[in-house]
Amino acid sequence: MGRYLLRRLNLFIATSLVLIAILFFATRLFPAELNYALSGIALPTSEQQLQIQHDFALDKSTLRQFFAYSAERLSGNFGISVTSQRPVSGELLGVLPASFELAFVAGLLALIVGVPLGVISALSRSKSLQKLIMAVTLTGYSIPVFWLGLLLSLWFGVQLGWLPISGQINLLYQIPKVTGFMLLDTLLFDGTYKWAAFIDALQHIIMPACTLAVLPFTVVVRITRTAMISVMNQTYIRAAEARGLSNTSIILKHALPNALIPLLKHLGLMLGPFASYAIVVEVIFSWPGIGAWLVSGIYQRDYTVIQGGIFAVALVIIFFSILIEVLYTAANPVSRKDMYGTN
Amino acid sequence: MGRTKLYLDDDIPSHGKRIWRLFAAKPQALAGLWGVVLLLLLAMFGDYIAPYAAEYQDQAALLMPPSWSNQGDVSHFLGTDDLGRDIFSRLLHGAQYTFGVAFSVVLTALIVGVVIGSISGMMRGLKSSILGHLLDALLSIPSLLMAILVVAVTGPGLENVFWAVGISLTPQFVRSIHQTVHDELQKEYVTAASLDGANALQIFWYVIMPNVWETVIIQTTLAMSAAILDIAALGFLNLGAQAPMPEWGAMVLQGLDNFLTSPWTVTIPGVAILLSVLSVNLVGDGLRSALAPMRN
Amino acid sequence: MPLLDVRNLTIELDTPQGPAKALERVSLTINAGEMHGLIGESGSGRSLLARAILGIHDPSWKITADRLMWDGKNLMDMPRQERRSLMGDEISMIFQDPSGSFNPTYTVGHQLLEAIPKGNKWTFWRHTREKKLLAQKWLHKVGIKNPRKVFYSYPWELSEGECQKVMIAMALAKQPRLLIADEPTASMEPSTQAQIYRLLTQLNQLQNVTVLLISHELDTLSNWCNRMTVLYCGQVMESGPTAELMSQPNHPYTKALLDNMPDYSTNVRHKKLMPTLPGSVPALRHLPIGCRLGPRCPEARRQCVKQPMLSHYKDRYFACHFPYQDEVDDDDTLT
Repeated sequence: MGRYLLRRLNLFIATSLVLIAILFFATRLFPAELNYALSGIALPTSEQQLQIQHDFALDKSTLRQFFAYSAERLSGNFGISVTSQRPVSGELLGVLPASFELAFVAGLLALIVGVPLGVISALSRSKSLQKLIMAVTLTGYSIPVFWLGLLLSLWFGVQLGWLPISGQINLLYQIPKVTGFMLLDTLLFDGTYKWAAFIDALQHIIMPACTLAVLPFTVVVRITRTAMISVMNQTYIRAAEARGLSNTSIILKHALPNALIPLLKHLGLMLGPFASYAIVVEVIFSWPGIGAWLVSGIYQRDYTVIQGGIFAVALVIIFFSILIEVLYTAANPVSRKDMYGTN
Repeated sequence: MGRTKLYLDDDIPSHGKRIWRLFAAKPQALAGLWGVVLLLLLAMFGDYIAPYAAEYQDQAALLMPPSWSNQGDVSHFLGTDDLGRDIFSRLLHGAQYTFGVAFSVVLTALIVGVVIGSISGMMRGLKSSILGHLLDALLSIPSLLMAILVVAVTGPGLENVFWAVGISLTPQFVRSIHQTVHDELQKEYVTAASLDGANALQIFWYVIMPNVWETVIIQTTLAMSAAILDIAALGFLNLGAQAPMPEWGAMVLQGLDNFLTSPWTVTIPGVAILLSVLSVNLVGDGLRSALAPMRN
Repeated sequence: MPLLDVRNLTIELDTPQGPAKALERVSLTINAGEMHGLIGESGSGRSLLARAILGIHDPSWKITADRLMWDGKNLMDMPRQERRSLMGDEISMIFQDPSGSFNPTYTVGHQLLEAIPKGNKWTFWRHTREKKLLAQKWLHKVGIKNPRKVFYSYPWELSEGECQKVMIAMALAKQPRLLIADEPTASMEPSTQAQIYRLLTQLNQLQNVTVLLISHELDTLSNWCNRMTVLYCGQVMESGPTAELMSQPNHPYTKALLDNMPDYSTNVRHKKLMPTLPGSVPALRHLPIGCRLGPRCPEARRQCVKQPMLSHYKDRYFACHFPYQDEVDDDDTLT
């Protein structure tokens, strides 16, 4: 197991290096002065100029520049943002939790609703129910997310007036930042309007989370369904039936754990599209997360923000996909069998 | 040997025929296929059948609702936008941008992906693993972020969207083809063929490739729906097709100012995107279930 | 009263070419304490029969039977859940593919514990421990050398033979009255095969477990079973005590099976054709009407397009219009 983890760590480092290399070469292609693209300082004083030259080894060979670039970025120096004139790393830490909060709620929503629905559609013998679920998931999979978000905010936000359509919380509430997760912060906040603020934050997250949950939800339903159908045809399910176990305990104890393993694998593959959708959703609902920040960065031609944002998002995705792979191996005893062979 | 036949032989259909039969047995898959064919025709000939030019502004009919509404008029079938441009005509003109560009991106990515993927799949050892890491890194950058990176380098525009979406799709093709070729290479029938004296090229083309096409087809339909959605999303974020262009995602953005008063300027282009992605997905779904019995 | 009494069981499957009768009017009688062999080629519906008896069939199968009695209780009228728990308590089954019959995500011990009936004789805090000890005792009983290690292993860490032994232990832990063994030795080396068969015989003799042994090998079955039933293509051909069946088959199919057994005692000419029936087993969508052996039977005549009823003489049963039997004719003249 130790060697396996070490190899995954290796993979993480190698992939991150490739990512940095891609950003490094993209930086040199930006239609701007290299100094400016690297540091974000538009009119540097001569001292700053020298500092940048030194930090990024601009007078050395390309390889040395690459190492200097990686060292600077990995140590957290992303330069300053042109628009706000503040360090990019600080801003990044400010916007990341909001994105995580949204992604977490949406993912949880998709799993909680999607897994049971997938199981039901796999076990149900009613053809019309199966067709209905398949039609709904296929439509959900095909729907353009920005359009769905707009429609939802028109119906529920404007015409019905049930839910707020932008932001993370009503600006009337002054909530000190502790964790960055608004739902947690309102709970931790000790003031007179604690519960009112929590409910307000909850109302704000419902629409963006539902919009974002549509894609993972459809994928979860379909994967769970296929996996469940194939598991229910296995001999060990027949054997469990022959042992006289009840249907419920067969499904919960024997079928479901085996069906969830392929689901885990697909969740890892879904991270990329999920992140793309999250960016769009954040823009539509003005969610103060990394996606909205990044898109406003590109409107301003804020090259340091673009680099920092892409680096952070891609790194998070690499990290989670490797984490999911490790979890997959841990949850699936059969995959450990192959490990004995290769190690 | 004058033996009487005891049992009537079923005629055994060829591989392609069998897939087609299974595919055609599903009405929704056939409907999807018709939709895709229609969209392809529109992408090619949309300019010629559209009743108005894309930029033609009818000053007498600003923000006219669709024809089925009381204020609507059949001369503007799906209504007009805030500049008096006919939405139906713009949709027809836009098919070549949204669907046509998506189609050509996927085709390009497919060709590049098949070439790189099959070469790397046939390779073993270090070279293959270096390529694997490179692809992992490229795959971990979501398509939208890749597009943002490309747009940051080249500036917004539909041509850049072509590159952006292409760069994010190609690794997926390379990866899935690499994986399939690699898996097939481990199987016994490949060993049998190489024991028969087939060289690497023969093994690749006659032994492995027939088993890879199915993966390629399925991957293509998946990529197609992703490409349409990405192009539309980039148009909506104003990073792709720019303002007067009748690209469907950009049309949604252009209608956004009048969303509250005249929602059809947003909903109708959205429905067009939804229907085109849906028909691609229906075809993909039908193909997948038609190919499934063959793969098991 | 027989332990299991099946009369005219028919199973219809839905195939793409329309419904097909995979089993047609199969009758099977098993008495308590016997070791009953069910022989048939692959595809003759042996496993279907076993699954239909246990009630673990696919919901899409259409099953009809004149009688399906287990120890005097009619199984056809029973609700699915009640039937399953009764079957779980009183009948156990061993499957063809032992390693596939274990859930790969749990250890075999975990699954073995599920099979052990809830005993009330232990106080609850010692319950788990006692249960584990009991499970390991069963593992030891079926001839596993290090029960503790096997208990905590995953199914894929064990060999096929070990898996099959655990499967048998699991079947026995319920202390069933009938054990259905469906090809228990498929894909195993001969030494392991012999071990498994010996184990089954021991159980039959020492614990008085009735065994229904399903196989396609006539010589192994004839070694281990008291009675045999011959199945061809979903129809029962013949049934009777092993010794009589072997020495004097009534049915042309049984005779053909016996003739097909390679005989090494006499000198066989080089490259001599082995005796076989002409043709091959018909596919499910091309089943002939009447007696399904008809097109291949050396004795077939016009009447064979009607399915023969199962007739019996003493304790032998056969379904043939033109059986091989001399004494029966004599008896007829006497009566």
